[in-house]
Amino acid sequence: MRSGDARREILHAIRTNLESSPPVQSSPSPERRGGQGVRTPEGRGGQEVRIKHFTEQLAAVGAQCTTVRSETEAAAALARILADAGARRVVGSDAPLVQRILAAVGNDIVIDRLERLSRDELFACDAGVTTAQWGIADTGTLVLESARERSRLLSLVPPIHVAVLSVRCICESLGDALARLSVASHAITFITGPSRTSDIELTLVVGVHGPQTVHVLLMEGP
Amino acid sequence: MTFERDARTALADGQLRGALRQATTLFGERRRAALATVPDWEGARDRARAIKDETLEHLDRYLEEFAANAERAGACVHWARDAAAACDIIGGIAERRGARTVVKSKSMASEEIHLNAALARRGIEAVETDLGEYIVQLAGETPSHIVVPAIHKTKAQIAALFADKLGIAPSDDVATLAAAARDALRRRFAEADLGISGVNFAVAETGTILILENEGNARMTTSLPHTHVALMGIEKVIPRFADLDVFLQLLPRSGTGQVLTAYQSLITGTKRRAEDEGPEELHIVLLDNGRSRMLASRVTRQALACIRCGACLNACPVYRQIGGHAYGSVYPGPIGAVLSPQLFGLARSAALPYASSLCGACRDVCPVKIDIPALLLHLRAQVVAEGVAVGKGHLRERLAFWIYATVMVRPRLFAWLMRAVRSLRIMPPLGAWTKWRDLRPLAPRSFREQWRAGLGDQRGPDA
Repeated sequence: MRSGDARREILHAIRTNLESSPPVQSSPSPERRGGQGVRTPEGRGGQEVRIKHFTEQLAAVGAQCTTVRSETEAAAALARILADAGARRVVGSDAPLVQRILAAVGNDIVIDRLERLSRDELFACDAGVTTAQWGIADTGTLVLESARERSRLLSLVPPIHVAVLSVRCICESLGDALARLSVASHAITFITGPSRTSDIELTLVVGVHGPQTVHVLLMEGP
Repeated sequence: MTFERDARTALADGQLRGALRQATTLFGERRRAALATVPDWEGARDRARAIKDETLEHLDRYLEEFAANAERAGACVHWARDAAAACDIIGGIAERRGARTVVKSKSMASEEIHLNAALARRGIEAVETDLGEYIVQLAGETPSHIVVPAIHKTKAQIAALFADKLGIAPSDDVATLAAAARDALRRRFAEADLGISGVNFAVAETGTILILENEGNARMTTSLPHTHVALMGIEKVIPRFADLDVFLQLLPRSGTGQVLTAYQSLITGTKRRAEDEGPEELHIVLLDNGRSRMLASRVTRQALACIRCGACLNACPVYRQIGGHAYGSVYPGPIGAVLSPQLFGLARSAALPYASSLCGACRDVCPVKIDIPALLLHLRAQVVAEGVAVGKGHLRERLAFWIYATVMVRPRLFAWLMRAVRSLRIMPPLGAWTKWRDLRPLAPRSFREQWRAGLGDQRGPDA
């Protein structure tokens, strides 16, 4: 088998070359590695501090945020966001919360289910609504896990992405979030603000391949 | 010498130098601002380097662990000894999947193996989807910066290019140009059968690959087509999932001066259920292509710690003047000057270790503390030891050092020569140095003569 040969050859080349140089003494022990200090899930401040930090960072990276206290409020906020943007065709993920909020949004907007859409139809959508499994306060980041929800394309293809996030799921730092993630999800996506490029004369353009608008509905309460 | 010729051409290009100055200065400033937000930047650099050193020390073990875990999650792992093998593997996958069009997100490794040309020979069109790479591909050029591939082009040039190739009305509005590329590329995403991406980090513990980006094209590339091929150098592996933390702190800050890029995709195998989103097949191609050779020495091994942030390019006084193309390699700048000779052979890139003033700015900004100047000196020594022909200049240099060594160990000969030089008022031409600068006139009496005349007896005020 050629592939097996290549594998053997490469591993052999690595071992032979490693043997020809003396081993380093400075290689750290597994205990010392990381060395970041232990971070409690509560982090440096309480939840209030974390929420404030998160919303500040969201603004810094160009994402919008609306705080809501119930599903009814979330639906009203979503209706406003969609109306302001002139969005006509909206698709929601399979998360029950998203489905309930979309059902409560007025019926003058075409609301589709992802599984019914062809690739071309998906490309013609104005907005995608998903939840986010985690938020990261330090960086204003949303974390989406594929095992929890089908949100991979809806958070990417339409020009507007609305993500519902519970305030209880805001982590302090990137390290905290990584510690909570499970690779049971074949795709984990970190989203920090809208899609952006500076490839032409270093001029910032927002919304290249991904969404131009990222709007977080931050759910307070139980 | 191609390097010297191309560097001269670049130096004569005022527009290029203006664009480079603007970009490298801006990235430098943004980087400095971004790293101020990390409480212990030096500590993070040390940790990252320690993780890389540990990985490289046991690279065989970590690669096997990564391959096993990726396969367990449903990926198919391929091993490619060199560029030709990698192109064969990827071309084979594309043919088996019946792909006519493949969409690509940014991958330096794919540039290194000239994948697009190899696919074209099989009648498969590879479309670059990163905006900068797309511009460069439409223009039939090559990237000139790791992070901003089309830095050498003005928006007027890009507007003319898009008007010609995409049939849009000429516009010098950057947002309009970006929107035109977006529309053109959406059609390609919709029809593509295969997506090819690079890999920033590969986690041995979980078999996860991580891709960073800002535009969303890598997310499109890795989620829309039925098949995803990820190409990675064997040095991209890191031991643990938690290790991603420190690298995610270092890479975006060093590269673009962002706290975090807009997107990180962490992909572990293929979708678990039929109704899940994402490709049915994930192929991970592990590329050696000269990397295992670099493990043989402690000095050269360092270059495998590189996380491709591009900070050393922005900091380098040589790169800042000549840009990426003059290096004649897919890896430009200081890190390119040490990678290219090792990956592609000293004979092909013998001039690159000399394309540096050894000022050390690259070492200072490197997030994983690669001692690039030491590597450059190591490679220069190798160029001399192996007698690689790098032009007449080196014969003269050898002669000059022979004379220097002869004179400096003979004090009387030295004194006599200095007297002769002063009395005749001649200075030998010192190449590029005296070509662009005037040497200061020689003092009428040397330090030794002044010392003998009583300078040594004068006492300072403290005495």
